[in-house]
Amino acid sequence: MATRPVSDPFPTEALAVRARGVTRTFGDRQVLRGIDLDIRPGEFVALLGRSGSGKSTFLRALAALDTEVSGEIFVPERRAVGFQDPRLMPWARVLDNVVLGLQGSDGKARGLQALDEVGLADHARDWPKTLSGGEAQRAALARALVREPALLLLDEPFGALDALTRIRMHRLVAELCARHHPAVLLVTHDVDEAVVLADRVLVLTDGVISLDRPIASTFPRPRLRSDPRFAALRSELLAELGVEDDATITIEVDPEFDSQTKESTS
Amino acid sequence: MTAVDRYVGTKPAPVASSPDATTETALPVVPTPSAAPVAQPTLVKLPTGQHDQKRRRWVPRGAERFLGVVLLFAIWEIAAQVGWLSPQTLAAPSKVVNVGWHMIEDGKLGPALWASFTRVLWGLGIGIPIATALALAAGLTRVGDDLIDRNVQMLRFVPVIGLQSVLILWLGIGETVKITLIVIGVAFPVYVNTYTAIRQINPGHLELARVVGLSKFAQIRKVILPGAMPGFLVGVRLATAIAWLILVFAEQINATNGLGYLIIQAQTFFLSDVIIVCLLVYAVLGLLTDTFVRALENRVLRWQPGR
Repeated sequence: MATRPVSDPFPTEALAVRARGVTRTFGDRQVLRGIDLDIRPGEFVALLGRSGSGKSTFLRALAALDTEVSGEIFVPERRAVGFQDPRLMPWARVLDNVVLGLQGSDGKARGLQALDEVGLADHARDWPKTLSGGEAQRAALARALVREPALLLLDEPFGALDALTRIRMHRLVAELCARHHPAVLLVTHDVDEAVVLADRVLVLTDGVISLDRPIASTFPRPRLRSDPRFAALRSELLAELGVEDDATITIEVDPEFDSQTKESTS
Repeated sequence: MTAVDRYVGTKPAPVASSPDATTETALPVVPTPSAAPVAQPTLVKLPTGQHDQKRRRWVPRGAERFLGVVLLFAIWEIAAQVGWLSPQTLAAPSKVVNVGWHMIEDGKLGPALWASFTRVLWGLGIGIPIATALALAAGLTRVGDDLIDRNVQMLRFVPVIGLQSVLILWLGIGETVKITLIVIGVAFPVYVNTYTAIRQINPGHLELARVVGLSKFAQIRKVILPGAMPGFLVGVRLATAIAWLILVFAEQINATNGLGYLIIQAQTFFLSDVIIVCLLVYAVLGLLTDTFVRALENRVLRWQPGR
């Protein structure tokens, strides 16, 4: 995509993403209504929203996959995208998948290094069909990071994984981003994921950004779930998404029932 | 008692959606359970501890599948020996094998087999590349699609065998017309399968190719062609089967050599066993070519799950 114009009216702060007035209409439904967003280099931004809120649409616009979107979008040349399904080419070995589209003669070496970082160095010569869901997604991450992107776009990358693998993947992504410092836009509907990983959380409602909450300074890492700030942030985000936090729902259990159960199991 | 049992007897009340709700319907709110006691359901004891009982094997594992075939041949042999089948209608398998052996010894079968086989190879060798080229042009370019596909889809339904008369007018009754019939018969399955495979490439893969910055040419080389390979090979397998079928027919046009020629001769002299031998040879050759293509598939498509 385009580089920043020479006569830039905006302040000369380094930016990884500048989006102004991004609008997208599907038929007669306006999915995005003029979104403005700046992302600084190295900043990890999570974009939350309900299903159908347009967050994937916005990400695809930044990924240059949607040219019918209107507005101004400036993104770095070196970008990488991670999708919900790993999209590995089944007819190419894992290493060949990782270096797909990579320029330069040292591709193989860089590919092996990337696989090593995600813990798949032993699977370099394997076929994708032998990988589990989590492993395939890790290979996709390696493919994204091998090209040292200035911007990493992740579209619900862990949505298809089981909860335990998801936790491990969060740690992996946090490590990789700490090492490579790309700007990241993570689209997700998992509030916990956003709070654990992001420097800044956005909520997309009805086509506009209804909440822009930086959390890096107020809630430094490591962010433990036991920390009250975690729960507070979670509740705030869930409220913004229109969902009651389950901490407010109580479940009463008949005390007589409990004693019956104890009798039958003793 | 499981946790679910606690809610037996109370159904969640449906919740009317609020005026400013979005397209998602609100989930029902499960109310707190009443204090009614839960009845004891009748328990049944499930059978457990049954291991795979080893079936007694009368026949070794691999041979089991051939049992049916062996039985068929046995019945055939008995029927012929006992006299239910007259020798002119259908010779016994033992006689067929005997005759076949003589044909090999006489040196009649070998050259005939070779002549037939080379015709099929020519037909496949010309038909497959032409069909593939057309499918690539139609699948990858819009111009190609407009020019080629409609025409091919139309011509597909003209029966190849019926073309025989016209082709004889144009090409005479020599080798060319025989091979041409095979080429035409082979081209259509290869074209249709390859074209479809190219058009049905997983769009997610194409998107990814764009995203990693592959040029259009590289996309074709690294995504579209490998993705179309399974479909292409299906077309090739169909093509080899059809090639043999058309050969049987084509070889009967003014045959001067080949298995078809042997069949025509045998017909003239009521030698049904020779005909059977030739048909069996056709079948075996067909099986061999199919096996070859399957082996090729297994090698080229070893990345597919389930291979």
